[in-house]
Amino acid sequence: MHSLYEIETTVKRVARHQGLSWGVAEEAGKVVRALEQSELPGLESFNRLIHLPYNKCQTTIDVSNKNQDILCPIHFGLFFFDQSHKSNLYQAFQFSNIQEPLLAIPLLIKAAQKNLISFNFTSNEFNFFISPGNVILLNKDEIPHQSKNIVLDISNQRQIQYSEKTWEQLYELSLETFVEESDEKKLSGAGAGLTDND
Amino acid sequence: MHIDLRKPEFVMKLDRLGSFHQSKLSFLRSFIREFKDWAFQTSEFELNEKGYGHCVYIVNKEDKKYSLVCFSNELDDSERSDRVIATKWDASFVLFDGIPTKQDIQRLKANVPLQEQGRVTEKELCLSRANKSVRVFEHVVDCLSQGKQPDTKLLYDVGYLYRTTAVYGSGKFGLADRIKIQDRGELKGPFRLEMMLVFLARQFTFDMVNHVAKMRSPKLAVKLNDEIARNLGIGNSTGLGMAPFIVNHPALLNQWILSKEKALQSIRSIPTTSEQEKEKFQNYLSTIQENIKFWKTDSDYQIKKNSQLIEDLENFQKYFSNLKLEKFFWNNTYEWVEKNTQAECCEFIVSLLMEVYPDIVEPLSYEMSINEEDFFDFDSSRSIGDICALIEKRYAWLIDIDFEKKNNIFNFWYYSKNKQEPRMSDRFSEDGAERELPLAIARDINKLYLELKNYAESEPLSSYLLKNQEYRHVLRRIFICEKLPYSEIQDNTISKSLIPVDMLRLKLSFFGATRFDPRSDRWVRITMYQGAPLMKEIHQSDDTWSYKKIA
Repeated sequence: MHSLYEIETTVKRVARHQGLSWGVAEEAGKVVRALEQSELPGLESFNRLIHLPYNKCQTTIDVSNKNQDILCPIHFGLFFFDQSHKSNLYQAFQFSNIQEPLLAIPLLIKAAQKNLISFNFTSNEFNFFISPGNVILLNKDEIPHQSKNIVLDISNQRQIQYSEKTWEQLYELSLETFVEESDEKKLSGAGAGLTDND
Repeated sequence: MHIDLRKPEFVMKLDRLGSFHQSKLSFLRSFIREFKDWAFQTSEFELNEKGYGHCVYIVNKEDKKYSLVCFSNELDDSERSDRVIATKWDASFVLFDGIPTKQDIQRLKANVPLQEQGRVTEKELCLSRANKSVRVFEHVVDCLSQGKQPDTKLLYDVGYLYRTTAVYGSGKFGLADRIKIQDRGELKGPFRLEMMLVFLARQFTFDMVNHVAKMRSPKLAVKLNDEIARNLGIGNSTGLGMAPFIVNHPALLNQWILSKEKALQSIRSIPTTSEQEKEKFQNYLSTIQENIKFWKTDSDYQIKKNSQLIEDLENFQKYFSNLKLEKFFWNNTYEWVEKNTQAECCEFIVSLLMEVYPDIVEPLSYEMSINEEDFFDFDSSRSIGDICALIEKRYAWLIDIDFEKKNNIFNFWYYSKNKQEPRMSDRFSEDGAERELPLAIARDINKLYLELKNYAESEPLSSYLLKNQEYRHVLRRIFICEKLPYSEIQDNTISKSLIPVDMLRLKLSFFGATRFDPRSDRWVRITMYQGAPLMKEIHQSDDTWSYKKIA
C-alpha cells in the first residue's frame, strides 16, 4: 500500500501531465487523497478518467448549457467550489453526463461547507446528497428505518482501494513530469563529485 | 517603548535568510529539551568484527516507544557517494513506531539498505542513510584499538565520524503519513522524528568505532573518551533537493520565522537588563568566537562570510565592552548591530541573544508547526481589486521585475527522473523547461497581477477563475501571505543571481546545523549535534551545549 502523501503527489503529477494547471493538479491530488483516506476508490476512478483519454473531457463548465457532455469531475467540482458563493447558482441545473462523479464529491463537500449550501445530485446510475453539516447521503431512498444485527468494525488501518496495476500505470505517468538528465547534467546538477571519501 | 517585529521585506530577503544561525528554536535543540526525560537504551547490537550487521536503539516513556533500527554494510571506497543517485551506503537507518519484531527486522533488513529502491510501511516513520568519513573513522578505530585516544585536531577539523546524505519522512517511500503522528504531544515541534533519528544515528557512530576497535584488539582497545565524542556531531550532505521545501511550505516557513521574530521582539522590549544577563551574553559570545575557528570550508563564498563575521564580531566586541546598562539595553545593542554589521553577524547576535532568555524563547518552539491543510483553500468571493491591493502590499518587491529579461528567468526548477529530487538548470541551454516545477513564484504572481489588472476591480475572483486557472497555485499563496506575512521568500527564485545554497542554509539553520561548508553554490556539508550530550547523558542536558567550548 502507498502512503497518502505518495498518492497525492503522484496524482498531482499525473494531472499536470494531462495538461491541467499546477493549481488544478494540486486540487486533483487533494481530491484523490481525501477519497482514499475515506476508503473510497478515488485512485481507480482517477485512473479510468485519464485513460478515457482525458482530453475527451469537457473542462469548461457552462451551467446554461444542459447538453454538456463528458464533464471532467475535477473541473465540475472546482466550478461549484469557486462559483457557488453566488446566489444565482442556487437552483437546479442539468448536464448530459459527467465522468467519474466520485471525484467531484470532495470538492462539492468543501463548497457546501464554505457556503452553507447543499447539493442533491441525481442521475440514472448514482445519487448523493451533500449538506454543509458533514453529512453525506449516497442514496436517501435506501436509508432503513431500523438496523438489525449490527457489526461495528473500527479500524485505524487504511484498506487499499486500488490494484497494483493501477498504481503502476499512474506512477509511470507521473514520471512524465520529470526531466531526463544527460550524463553531463547529472554531474553539474548538484555540483559534487561521484565519490566522497574524505 | 513599543518594539515592532522586523518587517518581512527586511527579513525575507535571501541574503539575510541565508545568514541565519542555529538557535534555541532549532529543532535538534527542541528535540533534546522535549525528550530529555525519556529513557534511551541500546536493545540489540549484532555487529560482526568488522562492524557489519544491525543494532536497535529504543526511546520510550510510559507506553510510548520509538526504535531506531541501524544496518551497517560493507561498502567499497569506489561506491561511496553522497549523491542521491548513490545506491549503497555504509549505514542505513529507519525509525520504527514502537518496537520491531524479529519479522519486522527481517523485512527492514531487506528494504532499508536499498533506501529509495526499497519499500517501507506505515509502521516506519523516517528513513536515512550515512557514509563514513573514511579518514576519521579509520584513524579513530586505529587509535582506540591501540589503547590511545585519537588526534582531536583531525577529528574537530572534520567534526563527525559519519555523515547522512538524506533523511526522509512524512509518507515518502511508504513511510507513515504525517497525519498518523501529528497529534502526539511529544512531536509538536517540526521535524521531531527526523531529529530523533539523527541523534540516535550519532550514538550509533560512537558505538560502532568502539566496537570495531575492540574487535580489532580485544585486550588493548579503549573506548572513545566521552568528552571527545561529545564534541563530534553527525555530518550531513545536502543538495538542491532540500531547497524547494521552504517554497512549497509557505505556512510552515511563516511559523519558523515568526517564532524567531517574536523572540527577538520580546528581548528587545525588555526595559531593564541585569549585569548577570549581560555577563551571560558575553560568556556565550567569547566561547563562540573561539569555536568559529573550527568552522572549516573551501568555499570562497563561505570563507568571505566567515571572515566578515569574525571582523564584525571583533568590532561588536569593542562596542559591547563599553556599553553601559541603560534602559532597553538589548534594543540598543540590536540596533547597533543591524546598522553596523553584515547580515551574517547580525543574525548571529540574534541567535546569541536568545540564549540569555530561555523563558521567552523556549515556549515559542511549540508555535513552529501549523496545519497546512487549513490554508489550502481560498475565498473566491473576494474582489479582484482586493487581490490586486494585496499583491501590491505583500509582493511590492516583484511588481517591477521585468520577466521578459533573460537574467530574471534564467533558471528553471525541475524534478530529476534520474535522481528523484528537485534540481535547477539553465532554461536557455538545457532541456526540460516545459516540465518546470511551480517554484517560479515571483514570475507567476507578477503575471497573475498583470492579468487581474484587466478585470474590473469590483468583480469577484471567481469571475477570473471561470476563464483562467493557470495561476491557481500562486493565488493560494497570496491568501496565505495575507495572514502569514513571513511565508514568502522575497527574492526571485529563478533569477541568474540566485544563490541556492542560501535556501539550504535557511532550512538547515532551523534544523540546528553548524559549520556550513558549501561545496558549490548548490550543495553544502554541515554538522549536527556537535557538542550535544551523549545518549546516556541526555537527561542532564540544560540546553547550553551549543555554546560550550570545543576542546
